[in-house]
Amino acid sequence: MRTRRRGNPVGSFGPGGDGAGISRRGVLAGGIGTGALVALPDLGLGGRPAGHGLSDPAAMRYAFVYGTPGGDPAPGGSLVAAMCPASPPASRANPQSVSRAVAAPAPVPLAIKLAAAPVSSADRATTALATVDMVHDGAKVTLTLLDATSAAFARQGSVTVTGVPADAQVLVTPVFAPGSAIVSLVLAITEPVGKRMVRKAHPHTGSLVARLVTIWRSHHALAYFDQRSGAMTGPFHLSDEPSLALSTAAANGSDLLLWTTREPQPGDPAEVRAQASLSRLSVFPLGSGKARLSALAPAPWPGGEPVATLPTGDVARLVRGRHVQVYSARTAEMAELQIPAFSQVSAKPSAVTMQARADGTVFLTKPGAGVAVIADPADSFRTRTRIHFPVPASPLGAPWSKAVLSPAGETMYVLGSAATGGLSAYRVGSGKLAASYSEGRHYYGIYQLPSGTLLAVQAQNPRLAFFNADLSPLGTADTNLHVSAIF
Amino acid sequence: MTGYDTAGRIQDIHASAHSEFGARPNYWIRYFTPSPAADLFNDDATAESRGAWDSGGPFVGCISAPTQSRLSGSAAEGHADAQAFAAAMLAAYHAVGPMRLPANGQLYCWLDQEYSTSLSASYWNAWANYIAEYDFAGLGTYPLYPCLYCDPHSEHPNCSTIARSRQTDKPSAIWSSEPEPCGRLTRPPRWKAHKCPTVPTRLWQFGEQGACNFTADVDLNLGAPGFITARYCFHISRRP
Repeated sequence: MRTRRRGNPVGSFGPGGDGAGISRRGVLAGGIGTGALVALPDLGLGGRPAGHGLSDPAAMRYAFVYGTPGGDPAPGGSLVAAMCPASPPASRANPQSVSRAVAAPAPVPLAIKLAAAPVSSADRATTALATVDMVHDGAKVTLTLLDATSAAFARQGSVTVTGVPADAQVLVTPVFAPGSAIVSLVLAITEPVGKRMVRKAHPHTGSLVARLVTIWRSHHALAYFDQRSGAMTGPFHLSDEPSLALSTAAANGSDLLLWTTREPQPGDPAEVRAQASLSRLSVFPLGSGKARLSALAPAPWPGGEPVATLPTGDVARLVRGRHVQVYSARTAEMAELQIPAFSQVSAKPSAVTMQARADGTVFLTKPGAGVAVIADPADSFRTRTRIHFPVPASPLGAPWSKAVLSPAGETMYVLGSAATGGLSAYRVGSGKLAASYSEGRHYYGIYQLPSGTLLAVQAQNPRLAFFNADLSPLGTADTNLHVSAIF
Repeated sequence: MTGYDTAGRIQDIHASAHSEFGARPNYWIRYFTPSPAADLFNDDATAESRGAWDSGGPFVGCISAPTQSRLSGSAAEGHADAQAFAAAMLAAYHAVGPMRLPANGQLYCWLDQEYSTSLSASYWNAWANYIAEYDFAGLGTYPLYPCLYCDPHSEHPNCSTIARSRQTDKPSAIWSSEPEPCGRLTRPPRWKAHKCPTVPTRLWQFGEQGACNFTADVDLNLGAPGFITARYCFHISRRP
């Protein structure tokens, strides 16, 4: 039976329980976003008194839970963070784990009304939040960097896009650059350029209904934040109108690579229509609003596909759930490679993920096909390891993290099958099942925290469930967020 | 009226689907940008349309499956995803000469919300509003209608979100993924699709490839009684 204790959501918390490690200035609230973020101490830290934390600084990190608040979308709703002590699950795969149950962490609210999902640096030490507020002279875009070791707001910078009307849409994408202190901000600015009264058929009755419609145009702008100095430069407006707001971006130590697509227009001549499937890749030196290189890029259009910056500085896009496009940051040339394990097409798409690893390989997952791969970009993405597993429930639904690789790469943790639920662990070397846990409950996302603790996400509270690396249950925590991702 | 949906390319799939089900589909529903994990109709709309014609089901419905965490996000994210979806449909329409809008002026545009995904009001309202107000091809007829694919009984917000939307942003229809009794293209189950309280379910995915062990890369769908799904799809009027 779970016990529940409620407390002040912005009260004492943190590694020492006294709040000393936290220097938040209250909950960050953007103006026009929706998503909310709570900080979650790694379970390895939960209940430890000050001075008795983990010795490994890398493990002293928070996880950040991102989602949309449950209940009415009142601004205050997301401030009500659940405070849950340890809660031994009703049934356990390993009875010994009962004695190891420790105080479960208490999710603490950090931000609401985020303009877009957070983004973490490659080493997960920093997480970037973007908020947008409409102010008297335009749209104020604020980038906040969270320190994962303290959950404190480490850095913050703002830039105002002037002349933007209050009903504009500003989509912000922060981009970390491995090996650089510069965080790029890709701003997609969509403004109303006209309104028109039209008559449109009612979908059910067919009767014509008068309606005021808005005509929109989008373009992009760039801004750059220097983590050392705290200086923000920009915005640098790009002359790419009319463009689709949706873009893809990645950075290496010197450049920002940005894929954009021209918005097709009704009056486009045939030669323009013929190139409609193409996008454009532009390469900007970090800090600059002027591309040093720009070239047409083959389909598909950018739009949420996983990207990874490779050790060479080139960037890989995982497209169509089965092909990797490797773009040269130097020349913008592209080579398309197939991931053989992902080649099978099916009726339904699957979530796909691609993550660069410290040893230069990449970890790719396709849970809808029940397969994960470690591939070597230095060898044309040759498959080094392939691991098969039963397809989990909701392989396309959020969160997209359905399988994770342990930091040392010896174990892969994955959601259990659609039939059994739970979690499974596979030995990477042999591809064989090493352990499994199930009490009939389905999880929809899995993450591994720096301490090695596994965090699984389920639909209803307690939405957050913690496990040891051997899949022994550790405890659970409530959150008022419908969880989309963990950072 | 039954038909297929697929994340693969129609031209690669229709023959195997015909072999398995022994009948022509009335329509196909295909993925458009932004659907980052699927083969996209708009990547080669001519070849896909040719495939639809050759299959005997020359009607193409449109769905978009964005990265699912975005559906919990902001209005700016919903707006951007809808803009890309509308542009992808327009690019396909431009690319395929014999591609026609529905004669009734209503092209259903589906947003894919999976079971474990939460739909925020900000995202939905912006997405639906952009679709509903898009002046497709400059025709001035505003033929795009926002619709939602979901599991109405999911524990994650979907029906409750659209129930709060303004009248003009309400989906025109629900495409329900549950229940899943399986069946055949020519022998669909009796209509018992799950529904949301405020919006009618007009399409039912009664058989998913994985759950029903279909060999062909298709899912099976059935329109509600009296609802002719193909009338809300693009029509390929001749072989491109």
